Amino acid sequence: MKCFSRYLPYIFRPPNTILSSSCHTEADIISTVEFNHTGELLATGDKGGRVVIFQREQESKNQIHRRGEYNVYSTFQSHEPEFDYLKSLEIEEKINKIRWLPQQNAAYFLLSTNDKTVKLWKVSERDKRPEGYNLKDEEGRLRDPSTITTLRVPVLRPMDLMVEATPRRVFANAHTYHINSISVNSDYETYMSADDLRINLWNFEITNQSFNIVDIKPANMEELTEVITAAEFHPHHCNTFVYSSSKGTIRLCDMRASALCDRHTKFFEEPEDPSNRSFFSEIISSISDVKFSHSGRYIMTRDYLTVKVWDLNMENRPIETYQVHDYLRSKLCSLYENDCIFDKFECVWNGSDSVIMTGSYNNFFRMFDRNTKRDVTLEASRENSKPRAILKPRKVCVGGKRRKDEISVDSLDFSKKILHTAWHPSENIIAVAATNNLYIFQDKVN
Amino acid sequence: MEVQKEAQRIMTLSVWKMYHSRMQRGGLRLHRSLQLSLVMRSARELYLSAKVEAHEPEVPLPTGRSPDPRLHPPREAEAAAQAAPPDGEPPSPEPMDTQETPRAEETPSRCSPRPAKASRKRRSSSLSDSGDAGLVPSKKARLEEEEAEETPSEVPDRLQPPPAQAEGAFPNLARVLQRRFSGLLNCNPAAPPTAPPACEAKPACRPADSMLNVLVRAVVAF
Repeated sequence: MKCFSRYLPYIFRPPNTILSSSCHTEADIISTVEFNHTGELLATGDKGGRVVIFQREQESKNQIHRRGEYNVYSTFQSHEPEFDYLKSLEIEEKINKIRWLPQQNAAYFLLSTNDKTVKLWKVSERDKRPEGYNLKDEEGRLRDPSTITTLRVPVLRPMDLMVEATPRRVFANAHTYHINSISVNSDYETYMSADDLRINLWNFEITNQSFNIVDIKPANMEELTEVITAAEFHPHHCNTFVYSSSKGTIRLCDMRASALCDRHTKFFEEPEDPSNRSFFSEIISSISDVKFSHSGRYIMTRDYLTVKVWDLNMENRPIETYQVHDYLRSKLCSLYENDCIFDKFECVWNGSDSVIMTGSYNNFFRMFDRNTKRDVTLEASRENSKPRAILKPRKVCVGGKRRKDEISVDSLDFSKKILHTAWHPSENIIAVAATNNLYIFQDKVN
Repeated sequence: MEVQKEAQRIMTLSVWKMYHSRMQRGGLRLHRSLQLSLVMRSARELYLSAKVEAHEPEVPLPTGRSPDPRLHPPREAEAAAQAAPPDGEPPSPEPMDTQETPRAEETPSRCSPRPAKASRKRRSSSLSDSGDAGLVPSKKARLEEEEAEETPSEVPDRLQPPPAQAEGAFPNLARVLQRRFSGLLNCNPAAPPTAPPACEAKPACRPADSMLNVLVRAVVAF
């Protein structure tokens, strides 16, 4: 990459800031961000159950040096609040995950899920409409049959582009606990949904049945020691998937081995470092996200303080460990008090699996170059979002003398957290969700 | 002593968080509840170990003592469990950590390191002899008042715990928690700023078992 010779792995500039608002409601908080397989579309889900899809505009010949920017393409209400009368519980409409299906025709398909229900949405364009019906007039009203004296064939005439989203499938009532992950299989016919204790396998065409492929619920709930925190299918092998646990372990399962994959094929666990043992060790070791690399050779996991890269062929320890914000290790008690210790950060690979990215506090996000072992901290803020402005690296002062442009640990704003990020599948374009704001950065174009 | 106070504070905070999580939209989160109970268990073990360490020279080990009380849950644990709203899963009368092996080494993050020689064996008789009314049931009826106290000043403003919610959809659980843990809350100088409403009169007699078992059991009951 042309920017690798510099201090930064990438030099990003923001084309624009989308969905920014100074005052926001709880419902506007972005809860998931996902590029589609080509990177043409970017979907966001929020706590209010809405999905907003951005589309990259076509590069114009007049502005060769200006890469296509993302504009709002479609907005729809995916999930509504529901009430479980049996358990007297409200079911939040918050979108936990969005996953795109590969495009197979002119329409786009995506899966969106809240705590209990997965929905398959079809997003399609309509830019023509039929005119010249025989039985109804232009407004759609039925015509008096006695006034019809001729027969004509309706013709399609151009109209203003309309993007409509329709729910094609609703996969409900299959999860007792809260859904944390969905993952589309590489066969493009099935997908899985994971909650705290179970993973179900669905066929896209069948909504009233699903196969349970993992069940870690103990016979006696008092024996519960761990829950499932994330799950994902292998990008190429449709029989393989992984799921992570709250104990910091990852299990790889092969669906060819048995119908119920309670027994793992591989078990990834790193021995705990006794020197890091603390009161909150169990909480911070919980894995909040697991992602296969695009190659399928590696998996990346995110726990509270670190990101780890594992080789599928080595189970006893990760091959790489990156400290995201180790300066928080001494603040765990305070972070427990303000609930920040329970934050679930996600992690993403870039298209070539050479750089990984994850979020932190104070609207910081971190990138780690696996080849050069360099890392950078960037900030998603309005000040940095002027067009053509280059993101300046940030640094957290952990002790001693603080430099002018450094920020001390105690000055970090823990209410500004970046939990969700996404990386374009082939280009250096990243989407960063900071509370209710979505920042899109591109790398510098010379 | 500082270790005990810190552990007690963590336990109180965890109970409060568990109670508060029941009132959140979406219902109780299994993962969050599990994490809270893990912290509570660690705090409890730390507290008990520190307590034993402090009282070890005074109290001799009883011979042929009964096994770990965690393995024999008292009946009122089920009452506490039933105070929780049903969620389709059968209530668990046994504590979550029954099958867990005790951890040999454990050092809290910002608390003082635990004494290495602290015995992990539960000594409820020694605790009752020491008169720790906050943990061990006493046969005396007590009237206690709830008082909200400030959190330690060392916690920065940014990191203050959130204000407590008013008694919400689970008044029974709130009363159970208040009744059983009022001693714990009162002994703690760093209780959450807005403590639960004033408690009722204390029960006169309770079986000889650590209140902390009930605490853990109550929060697991969902």
